[in-house]
Amino acid sequence: MKRNISALLVLLSCWVSSTALATTVEDINTFTLDNGMKIMVLEDSSIPNANMYLFWKVGSRNEVPGITGISHFFEHMMFNGSKKYGPKMFDRTMEAAGGANNAYTTEDITVYTDWFPANAIETMFDLEADRIANLDINPEMVESERGVVQSERTTGLENSNWRTIQEEVKSAAFRAHPYSWSVIGHESDIAAWSLEDLQQYHKTYYAPNNAVVVIAGDVKVAEVKRLAKQYFGVIPAQTPPQAVRTVEPLQKGERRVFVEKASVTTPNIMLAYHVPSTKHADYYALDLLNTIFSEGNSSRLYQGLVDKQVASNVVSYLPMSFDPNLFYFFGVANSGVDAVQLEATMIAEINRIATDGVTQQELEKVKNIKLMNFYRTMQTINGRANTLGRYELYFGSYEKLFSAPDAYNKVTVEDIQRVAQTYLRKANRTVGVLAATEGAD
Amino acid sequence: MISFTKFKKTSGLTVSAIALACSVAMTGCASTAETTKTVDTGSFSMPQYESVTLDNGLQVNFMVQKEVPIINVNAVVRAGAVNDTTSGVSYMTIKSLLLGAGGKSKADIEQTVDFLGASLSTGSGRESMTVKADFMSKDLDTMLDIMQQVIVSPDFDSTEFEKLRQREIVGLSQAKESPRAVIGRYYNKLMFGEHPYANPVSGNSTSLAEINIAQLRAFHQSYFQPKNMAINVVGDFDVQDMKTKLSAAFGQWENTEIAVQPDLSSGLPKLTNSKVLLVDKPDAIETTFIIGGLGIKRDNPDYVGLTVLNTILGGRFTSWLNDELRVNAGLTYGARSAFSTYSDAGVFSISTFTKSSTTKEAIDLALKTYARLWEQGVDQQTLDSAKAYVKGQYPPKFETGSQLGELLADMYIYNFDDSFINEFQTDVDGLTLAETQRLISTYFPKDNLQYVLIGNAAKIADIAKKYGEVTTVNITDVGFGQ
Repeated sequence: MKRNISALLVLLSCWVSSTALATTVEDINTFTLDNGMKIMVLEDSSIPNANMYLFWKVGSRNEVPGITGISHFFEHMMFNGSKKYGPKMFDRTMEAAGGANNAYTTEDITVYTDWFPANAIETMFDLEADRIANLDINPEMVESERGVVQSERTTGLENSNWRTIQEEVKSAAFRAHPYSWSVIGHESDIAAWSLEDLQQYHKTYYAPNNAVVVIAGDVKVAEVKRLAKQYFGVIPAQTPPQAVRTVEPLQKGERRVFVEKASVTTPNIMLAYHVPSTKHADYYALDLLNTIFSEGNSSRLYQGLVDKQVASNVVSYLPMSFDPNLFYFFGVANSGVDAVQLEATMIAEINRIATDGVTQQELEKVKNIKLMNFYRTMQTINGRANTLGRYELYFGSYEKLFSAPDAYNKVTVEDIQRVAQTYLRKANRTVGVLAATEGAD
Repeated sequence: MISFTKFKKTSGLTVSAIALACSVAMTGCASTAETTKTVDTGSFSMPQYESVTLDNGLQVNFMVQKEVPIINVNAVVRAGAVNDTTSGVSYMTIKSLLLGAGGKSKADIEQTVDFLGASLSTGSGRESMTVKADFMSKDLDTMLDIMQQVIVSPDFDSTEFEKLRQREIVGLSQAKESPRAVIGRYYNKLMFGEHPYANPVSGNSTSLAEINIAQLRAFHQSYFQPKNMAINVVGDFDVQDMKTKLSAAFGQWENTEIAVQPDLSSGLPKLTNSKVLLVDKPDAIETTFIIGGLGIKRDNPDYVGLTVLNTILGGRFTSWLNDELRVNAGLTYGARSAFSTYSDAGVFSISTFTKSSTTKEAIDLALKTYARLWEQGVDQQTLDSAKAYVKGQYPPKFETGSQLGELLADMYIYNFDDSFINEFQTDVDGLTLAETQRLISTYFPKDNLQYVLIGNAAKIADIAKKYGEVTTVNITDVGFGQ
């Protein structure tokens, strides 16, 4: 059954031609249970499989000092035992039915992913409903899981320079907002969570009214609706969590951090600029600007740094985000290039857009890249589920997926230059340097 | 880039889905006393496709998939690091194809490809090299033209080559900043010694410095020939139209010489004692390690059965290794095992990582858990679960045009046909408990295990000695072994 995806694609084909959009919103089947849990369904029988993505509106953004990293730790604990399915039984039951699962936590959300043969769907509902309604946090499991998360933190720092420097850059760029700490949290907090912390967190954030569920694959809407009512509909809603109140104060001057790591062979530079949240009108221009900077070998950063042998690698990254966040640039120096030269060249290349703007051809190019990336994502049931859920959460409605082509099409070369001038300024920047040695004064 | 997950793959050594080519003859196997439970995971078979061989010997496969209006094309060549005369020459050759071709400069090609939102990339491995692209169906003519020039008429521009070489050499040093990124290269070198399967695809900093453009041209001439290549097209296109266009693009291309292939079945190592390669990274905060031995080759008839068994040992979240090292002991974020298969050999590996202070504890627990294969074997319930898991997770491996194109490419390189997809579920279901015992005693390496440990040697050298004859290298030394 390809109707839904075809409808999406008809819509997206308008992306480059700027014609009026066909309204195909009804091809995504949605319903909301009485307890406030919203569910979206996409039928597709191209493979005999389906998935269930549960998006929870909780991430490191909802933490406070003392319990940093608890959202991610809690993500782990959601696999460690409930009333019906005790410790280890969630994974064992799912795998015995042919399913697999994973989960991820970001600054804003926690997402649980179940991938399974479509005829195992009732088992998935049963497993998920049990841990949402009846999580039983076992003290022994908490202790072994602490070691797991400590290992995850360590192996990230061992193997990823990005993680090592980003942790420091975030802490400097934010002095008030919870985006200040890394998603995995402070080492001391990982060692200190109590059972009470975890139980309270579960009650507050894992209520059905705080979730959006997306199911895609070889399923029928009516069957999904029946199962959702039976398994999820009986779980009571809770008082909605308190809003995050803190607004990061305006940055009024460049901030800098330095990290030493002996095995780093050439310096790494991270630049981070404050930008608005994904719901802001400038998001589409910023997203296209991000693509202009670093997608493909004809991109600005490749041409200005890699092709000129200043950097061996350079990327930019603009996360989707509930609150105003950071637009990142990360470069790895070529041999013989020091941190000062790499930083200066990256900044010069970034500033060039604010000064000189971009060409119409560059803008057309990145719109084509966005469309092609969309097609690639939409080839899989997982790509579809994840995209729908992310639009629902980050833009406030999955329907924004349908207006996205128009929103991208409206972006002009003037918009690109304007957002570069507005946000990519020195006073709005944090610079991180990672190198083998800092050197003496 | 900012998310943290429940579980991540921890090693580059994973079981290739393609390696599941096998038809296990199950008739005649003894049934067991325990009741088996077969889980129905739905039916899945190879999508329809059409194969044509052009007069010059070039094999072309067409698979129509209309879900999205894009086309995936790959050209796969029967050559790789095993054909290297200087380490890394295959890798540098395929990388250099994109440095300019048919009079179009590297920048011309990149601007054209990027403007269409398309991708054009190359890849190489031990036994194959690939040029692949994806693009919107409407851009077929432009992209096919570029692919034809890149494959048949690369310029091997010297200025661009020098830049590439320099970046690759510095990239090798940077890769060694991450133990996970390079441990597989050390492991293969320890395992295969002087055999071509030991060759690191990437080359090393000394060998890359030696390679010249004449070598690239010679390598290209030797292996990029119609008779030594297949082109696979998957996506939204008209088959007749595509046949005409591919024939026009590649039909006149002539073979030049016979592509000489090494005899990979000879000179394979015999592992007669346990060895430990200790790779010193003085600032390491954890130890990353692999334990294992020789495995099986790609066409082993027991491959599907071994896939199921490996799933139990270290191929899924509830596997014995992950359960013991991660869930019960909290020593690591993930532990796994895998068979990696090549045409004429293969390796088996157990891989994980732990903080420096728990290195011995983690290695010992990995070994103890591994020994359960012989000491306890598997039970019916675990076997049934693993069979359901392997079947249930199979169809999504072949969901995208790119995945299906890679499947067709591997079918060409490793000489198997549709039956491996179409019979996969039956083969999995046919594995009996009795059969698992034969597989364990026949294929899992039990003695003379080989170890690679990357970590702080000052802290773990004494531990390393407990497991075998130790050779220590510094991670910054050139290459990936002694």
